[in-house]
Amino acid sequence: MEQKAIYDLLAGHLGEHAIAWHEGEIEPWAEIAPEGINPACVFLRDDQRLDFNQLMCLSGIDWDGFDEAGKGKSLGILGYTDEGAPEASDRVAEGDFGVVYHLYSHGQRHKFTLRVRVARSVAAVPTVSEVWPTAAWHEREAWDLVGITFTGHADLRRMLLEESWEGHPLRKDYVMPASWEGVPMDGRPYAVNPFPATEPEPKGDSTPPAEA
Amino acid sequence: MSTGELKKGGWADQDHVPGIKSELLELNMGPQHPATHGVLRLLLKTDGEIVYQVTPVLGYLHRCAEKIAEGVNYKQWVVYTDRFDYLAPMCCNHAYVTAVEKLMEVEVPRRAEHLRVVTAELSRIASHLIALATFGLDMGAWTPLLYCFREREEILNLLERISGGRMLYNYMVPGGVRYDVPNDGWVESVLEFITMLENKKIKDYNDLLTYNKIFIERTADVGVIDEATAKAYGCTGPVLRGSGVKFDCRRDDSYSIYDKFDFEIPVGMGEQGTVGDCWDRYIVRVREIEQSCRIIRQALESLPDGSVQAIDLIKPVKVPVGAAYSRTESAKGELGHYIISDGGQTAFRNKVRSPSFCNLQVVEKVGVGQMVSDLVALVGSLDIVLGEIDR
Repeated sequence: MEQKAIYDLLAGHLGEHAIAWHEGEIEPWAEIAPEGINPACVFLRDDQRLDFNQLMCLSGIDWDGFDEAGKGKSLGILGYTDEGAPEASDRVAEGDFGVVYHLYSHGQRHKFTLRVRVARSVAAVPTVSEVWPTAAWHEREAWDLVGITFTGHADLRRMLLEESWEGHPLRKDYVMPASWEGVPMDGRPYAVNPFPATEPEPKGDSTPPAEA
Repeated sequence: MSTGELKKGGWADQDHVPGIKSELLELNMGPQHPATHGVLRLLLKTDGEIVYQVTPVLGYLHRCAEKIAEGVNYKQWVVYTDRFDYLAPMCCNHAYVTAVEKLMEVEVPRRAEHLRVVTAELSRIASHLIALATFGLDMGAWTPLLYCFREREEILNLLERISGGRMLYNYMVPGGVRYDVPNDGWVESVLEFITMLENKKIKDYNDLLTYNKIFIERTADVGVIDEATAKAYGCTGPVLRGSGVKFDCRRDDSYSIYDKFDFEIPVGMGEQGTVGDCWDRYIVRVREIEQSCRIIRQALESLPDGSVQAIDLIKPVKVPVGAAYSRTESAKGELGHYIISDGGQTAFRNKVRSPSFCNLQVVEKVGVGQMVSDLVALVGSLDIVLGEIDR
C-alpha cells in the first residue's frame, strides 16, 4: 500500500493524535502525538489491510541542536580538555527527545515510519512492548543510552551500561564522568586528539653545541 | 521477563513429598563460559535441571559506537562497523555504506557493486562456517570445528588478498570499494574455492555433523521457535527462516544488485522434528552456504570492467540533511542503520539495529521450561555475536 494511504487510514483512526504527514524526503514519515502511539501501533498491527507484524527498529533520539538548515555539525561531543579537565559547556540543552518506529509487514510487504516528539522536560513516551515484544529491549536501550522513560514498560532497566552508571551517553549534553565507582575515567575521548601537535622534544643532549 | 504461568513440571511447582519443597537455584552462565559465544552472561533461575527464568545480561563489550559515530566522519566510521559482527565484517561494511549512499543518492560503479557482493557473500560463508562449527562444538562434536576452520582460513586468505586485512577489512567506503581485484588470479582462486566447497566440503559437513544421529537427537525438537514468536520478537535471518518464514532482505527488500542474481531462500521444514527447532536453524545455514556460492559465481562471471570508486577516496563525504533507515541481510539477519544527517561530515545520530540483539531476546521466552543443556543448544543455534549485541 502507498505510504500516504497508510497514513490516511491511520489518521482516520487516531483523529487528533495524528499530527502531520511529512512527504518528499527519502523516507516519508508520520508524526504522532505521544499519547497516540499505543493506539496507533495496535491499529497498525491488527488492521488486516496494514498488518504490520514486525517492528524493524526503534530509535531514541536527542534532537537538541539539530540544524534543519543543514549547516553541518550543530554541537560537538563534550569531553575533556587537553589538560584533562571536563569541558565546560555554558550551553543548556533544550531540544526535544524523539522516538522513531520503523515497521514492516511480512504479509503486505510494506514499510512505515512513525515519529514521536516529546519535550525535554517530560522525556516520557508510552511503551509499545505490549504490541511487539521486541520493543522491550529496544526501549531498554533507548532508556539506557538516551534517557527516555517508557511508561508502562514492565522491566525498564539499563541494557548495556552498568546499573550504577550516571547519565545517558547519547544525550547531546552528556559529559563523561571523571570517575566511575572509584575508577578514574582516564583517557580523553575519541573526539579530542590524544596526541596534540606540539613541538617535538629535542632528543639527547639538549644543550646547544658550543660555538667553535 | 516471563517467569510465566507456564506449567514447568519441575519440583518447585509441585509438592512431590509432602512438607518438602525444592527451591529455585540462581545460576550464572557466563560471561566466562565456553558455550555462550563471547562475553554473554545468562542469569538463570533453575529448578533442578529445568530452566525457570532466563535473563540475559549484556554490555560487557559495550563501546558506545553510536556516540563515536557522532564524533568521526562517515568514512572513518566504516572501521567501527567492522567490529560489530567481527565474524562477517564485510556484511557490516556493506550495510553501513548502503545506508550512507541511500542518503547521499550516489551512483556506485557496477564493478564495485559486484565486488561488494562477492566479498560480503564470502564473509557470510565464513560466518556460517563458524556457526556450524561452534554449534557442533556445543553439542559435543569436536571434529567438524577443525574442518570448518580449515575452509574459513581459505576465505580469510582470499579476503586478505583483496583488502589487505585478514579479520577486519575496512574495505568498502561510501561510493565504492577501496581496492580493485589484485592481479594474481584472485577471481580464479575464488571460483576454485567455491567449486571445492560446493562439490566436496558441504558433503563432508553433512556426513560428519548434519545427519549424525547424536547431533539430531540433541537438536531436533529442541528450542522450538514458532513463526508467530519469531515475528513478534523481531527475529531475522536464519532464525526467522528456520521457523519457516521465507524472508530474506536480499530478495524481498532488495539492495545493491542482489535482484540480478538467481538464488533460493532455504527455510526450515521440520525435516527431523518440528519446524523452528535447532536443527532447522542449523540446516538453513548449511543451505545458505550453497546459495552464497551460487551468488558469488554469478557475480564473478558477470564482473564488469570500470572503476571501483565514484567519490574521491581521501576527502570526507558530506551527506545532505535527511534521515533514512536502510536494512541489509547480514550473516546473522537484518542489519539496519538509521542515519540522521544534519548536512555535515558526521552523522547527527546513527542507530544500529543489530540482528543478534533482536534474535537473542527470544531466549527470554523460548528458554523457559527447557533443560539447561537444551538452553546451550538454543543459544548456539541462534548464532549470536557479542560485538554487535553490545556495540
